[in-house]
Amino acid sequence: MSLWEPYRPLVRALPRVLAPSAYIQRPLLRRNASDETSSTPDPLSELEPVSSFGGSVPESVVTSYDPVARSRSRKSELPPSRYQFRSPKYDRGPLHPHRPPPPSDPSSRLFVPGPFTLPRVQQTYDSTIAQDILTLCYVHRPPGFEPPPRAPRLRSWDGSSPYHKNRPLRGPRGGDVLRLLRKPITFNNIPKLERITIHSYVKQAATDGSQWLHVAGMAIQAISNVRVETFKSRSSVSTWGIAPGRDSVAVKVELRGENMYHFIGKLVDVVMPKMKEWKGIKGSSGDSSGNITFGLTPEAVALFPEIEVNYDMYPSKMIPGCHITLHTSAATDKDARLLLSAVGIPFHGKLVD
Amino acid sequence: MSVGSNGTKRIAALLRYSKLESSVCRSCLVRRNYASAAAPTDASPSGSSPFIATPEPPSASTSADLKSIYTINAGVVLSRPPQITRDLTPFEKAYYFYQRRLNERLALPFTRYFYFKRGTPADEDWKRKYKHRQTASRDIGKYSAYSKEAWNDELLVGAVESEPEHQIEMLIRDSEAPIATSQEGAKKEKDDTLRPHPRSTEADNTGDQRSLSRLLQRTLYLLVQSNEGYWKFPSSPVEGRESLRIAAERTLSQTAGVNMNTWMVGHHPIGHHVYNFRKPRHDTTQNNQLLGEKIFFMKGRIMAGQADLMANKQDLGDFKWLVKEEIEQYVLPQYFSMIKNMLPER
Repeated sequence: MSLWEPYRPLVRALPRVLAPSAYIQRPLLRRNASDETSSTPDPLSELEPVSSFGGSVPESVVTSYDPVARSRSRKSELPPSRYQFRSPKYDRGPLHPHRPPPPSDPSSRLFVPGPFTLPRVQQTYDSTIAQDILTLCYVHRPPGFEPPPRAPRLRSWDGSSPYHKNRPLRGPRGGDVLRLLRKPITFNNIPKLERITIHSYVKQAATDGSQWLHVAGMAIQAISNVRVETFKSRSSVSTWGIAPGRDSVAVKVELRGENMYHFIGKLVDVVMPKMKEWKGIKGSSGDSSGNITFGLTPEAVALFPEIEVNYDMYPSKMIPGCHITLHTSAATDKDARLLLSAVGIPFHGKLVD
Repeated sequence: MSVGSNGTKRIAALLRYSKLESSVCRSCLVRRNYASAAAPTDASPSGSSPFIATPEPPSASTSADLKSIYTINAGVVLSRPPQITRDLTPFEKAYYFYQRRLNERLALPFTRYFYFKRGTPADEDWKRKYKHRQTASRDIGKYSAYSKEAWNDELLVGAVESEPEHQIEMLIRDSEAPIATSQEGAKKEKDDTLRPHPRSTEADNTGDQRSLSRLLQRTLYLLVQSNEGYWKFPSSPVEGRESLRIAAERTLSQTAGVNMNTWMVGHHPIGHHVYNFRKPRHDTTQNNQLLGEKIFFMKGRIMAGQADLMANKQDLGDFKWLVKEEIEQYVLPQYFSMIKNMLPER
């Protein structure tokens, strides 16, 4: 009995195979979600297909309607509407009767208008880069494949000493840092650009006066379209004459969304091709969790079109250099580099992943 | 456990999987786990290529009969990505225009003397233009956000201010020379101004579907016409032990010529198409029964060049660069149902 035990599956499977099996063409009974969706209308069809500026209003109404003239011809002013909402200056908490509106409301004090355009780089990412990255990063897992179990990231203590009891787990080998987990890249976690940080440390701002910081702030603001934040020094460097908390020595901006895409478009297509003897971003750059940093010299910053058009406005000696960090949603530098090189950023040297 | 139990389990597994219309390829099946990948592949049939999918397993009784197999083909989805930004929908135009005027109302006024020194020609030019458009921004039409009529920020029927073409025109007019001495001088300046290229090309106007410069806003795909008259993506059987990607590159050079600078995206297919013959064909050379074809599509991008069917080895009749909707009109409905999901909308 035990001799036949292993052959049981074989015995079960054989008759099925040995049965006469000319290929029978069966109707395709499988229903795919994609087949269903083709019959449903396009989600964009809910929008009006034509602009409301070409509406079906009689010509006489269109020509006679002039709101400005009508308001000017009024003898007396219209009474103000009874309640003109003004957002309270301070948020006094959720129990206060007068709550500020959400920041997306134009009447909110925190409202920032925008977006104003659909950036080119964003369209390229959506239409080309994202799909290509998805194809490139695909890893084939055949049905039934089980990946080998991975060792736990945190090691346990072997219990050789009584002091091992109740100790927290040991860190990974080769360093105490737990790196980000790289999940398989699927349609919903394709690496994308999340934000860009531009940072400029102006060491003369401490010694030579604040004009250096003003110029640096204006230049960074001009190239990024975002208001800068200034930062005081945190460390003490006696040779540079800085003391903690005394002088503002750095400016920083964070770009997101539309500003970010416009900035990287300018950087890749206008500035980088004009930079002299620049080989690209160093391949060893990156914090090994998908964020790549590089620096621009003052000459490179002056190549941005916003500065180039009125270069005379800036004291040319005071145009700052800057550090640019490209924060991507990739978990490793390799994926981040794949994304950025697709956007058009060159890398040189040994690539450290 | 006896010695042969692992082997029999594996054979049984193969038999079981064969019932699933061979949805798993043999090479994948053999390397289902690392232990079995390391073991010698005694379960795989001798003499059959790993690139031939065999729904019928070889066994002692069936090896004398015909083996029913599919031919594995490598197809190429060669595409030209969009070259320019897409046209905005009317909703998007209206939305972006609204946001721009709203920004004009909420932002601080333009700091004129920071950018223009008093009394310079640039300042004079600024004053002249500002008087006309009443605002610092050049793409929101005539609108003053700080006047008494700032409430009048909505466009009326027939307004063109939200159209990108109109905004470009305004930008160009603004960038023209500040002071023209004579009429001729002004005209000359106008001609010198760099205008953007038109968004529709000559190929669009003539309807040339072989041109790569048509429909710049959309992704174009290369389709070829077989000698029977069917339109399809270029494909050919995988030969010997070459990989799908090598086979796809070879297919492309054999069908559409070598006059193209292309890039194959990755090593994995992006889609597949199974074609069953009406009656199984008999392949006398290999003593096989051909049930049909399985085409695995590899993705490719064209960077430069153009397809050329002069030297093709498949007797292809014609080629076209088509967008997704046009492909639907040319290929068979069954073929399109298999390929439509690997082609993005734009």
